[in-house]
Amino acid sequence: MKVIICIGSSCHLKGSRQVVEKLQALVKENHLEDKVELGGTFCMGDCVNGVNVTVDGEKHSVSPDTTEEFFQKEILAKVQ
Amino acid sequence: MNNLCTDIGWMSLNKKGEQLCGDHVDIVPQGENSTVVVLADGMGSGVKANILSTLTAKIISTMMAEGLHVEDCVETIASTLPICAVRGVAYSTFTIIRIIENEEAEIIQYDNPFVVLLRNGKNWEYPREAVEIGGKTIYKTRIPIQKDDTFIAFSDGAIHAGIGMSLNFGWERKDIIDYMEMMYDESFTAKTLNALLLDECNKLYGGQPGDDTTAVCVKVRERCCVNLMIGPPSKPEDLAKMHEAFFSAPGKRIVCGGTTSTLAAEYLKKPIIAQLDYLDSDIPPTAKVEGLDLVTEGVITMSKVVEYAKDYLEENRKYSQWGYKRDGASMIARMLFEEATDINFFVGRAVNPAHQNPNLPINFNIKMQLVENLCTSLEKMGKKVKVSYF
Repeated sequence: MKVIICIGSSCHLKGSRQVVEKLQALVKENHLEDKVELGGTFCMGDCVNGVNVTVDGEKHSVSPDTTEEFFQKEILAKVQ
Repeated sequence: MNNLCTDIGWMSLNKKGEQLCGDHVDIVPQGENSTVVVLADGMGSGVKANILSTLTAKIISTMMAEGLHVEDCVETIASTLPICAVRGVAYSTFTIIRIIENEEAEIIQYDNPFVVLLRNGKNWEYPREAVEIGGKTIYKTRIPIQKDDTFIAFSDGAIHAGIGMSLNFGWERKDIIDYMEMMYDESFTAKTLNALLLDECNKLYGGQPGDDTTAVCVKVRERCCVNLMIGPPSKPEDLAKMHEAFFSAPGKRIVCGGTTSTLAAEYLKKPIIAQLDYLDSDIPPTAKVEGLDLVTEGVITMSKVVEYAKDYLEENRKYSQWGYKRDGASMIARMLFEEATDINFFVGRAVNPAHQNPNLPINFNIKMQLVENLCTSLEKMGKKVKVSYF
């Protein structure tokens, strides 16, 4: 599974660093390093809905507060 | 004509309690490839010394720049300087370093500590010829220069540093040579080398200089061109023109901004690989594109670079941050402030539709202002800056 987080200017200001760090920690906690590949990208052109995160190409809107929930629903549930 | 240029850095420490410095440095460029640098140290301190040294430096630099002989300059100074009521003489020492066509250096010294020349980072004692002019002994030198030759001139405040405090006899010229040989690194700019020297003087003085202390560093270095592209063009049809100009310019290439780098990667037909390492929590990560030297985010990174540039020209306190770090802003700062001598900006004026949202603290005017501010600072650093808008 490929998870791409936008690190463009406006997503950065909306907290993409925290999202990245939380996702990195969660992937590690759940021992998913082999199954989930985290990556970054510059602006996805949808700044209003940032922080933009795609899971195998499907776009989601995430914020630092919803990262955990997003991980459970969109990553953990689907990868197993 | 060769591919060399001169990088000059200078700074003064005032004698404790004085608002004016009794040393004066004047730099006069003569055309593209020649420069006259004068360091004058006026007798005494405060206002009187300041007037003496300012007059001396100005007269010499102006006359030398006009091509007059050093004999005429010295005579003019002797008959122009106001005479000190206490001592009955008019007096200001001086050092002149003249770089001619970036091929030769002429050094003329009167009563200042002898200029130190570091060649390949090691002290090189150049020949000095003593000449009598108007009863004064003046030392003249004319030598061909090599790449990375570093001339360091200082007022006697530097060799008196620490006298009677931390050192018995002050910081002698040979000690300064040892110190500078030890600290020297090829990548350091004249300003950095100069700051190292003066910081040490200040330390030896215990932060309270007993004399005005000034150092000037003149480094002969190779020209280095850096090209920086930021923003897509306002008219999409100009993209090809902008890319052509950017990619055909010689030198290193930096691309700032998400959209801008995506477009550049398309032009190069190479993938853009964003890094996820947050080396600095405030600065978005960089990306890698084959064929580009550096790819970063735009506005946030650039505002940090502008902040570093302003600080570099003043206190230079943030050098410890950008001097070694690997985040986008620090890397741009090093490439622009240290490596580059000539900088070409390729600025696209497109308005990013994604940023036109009142909830976002980014807007078009900020971006244009950032570029303008950065250019102003870089010019103050002595860089040749060219900006093309698209």
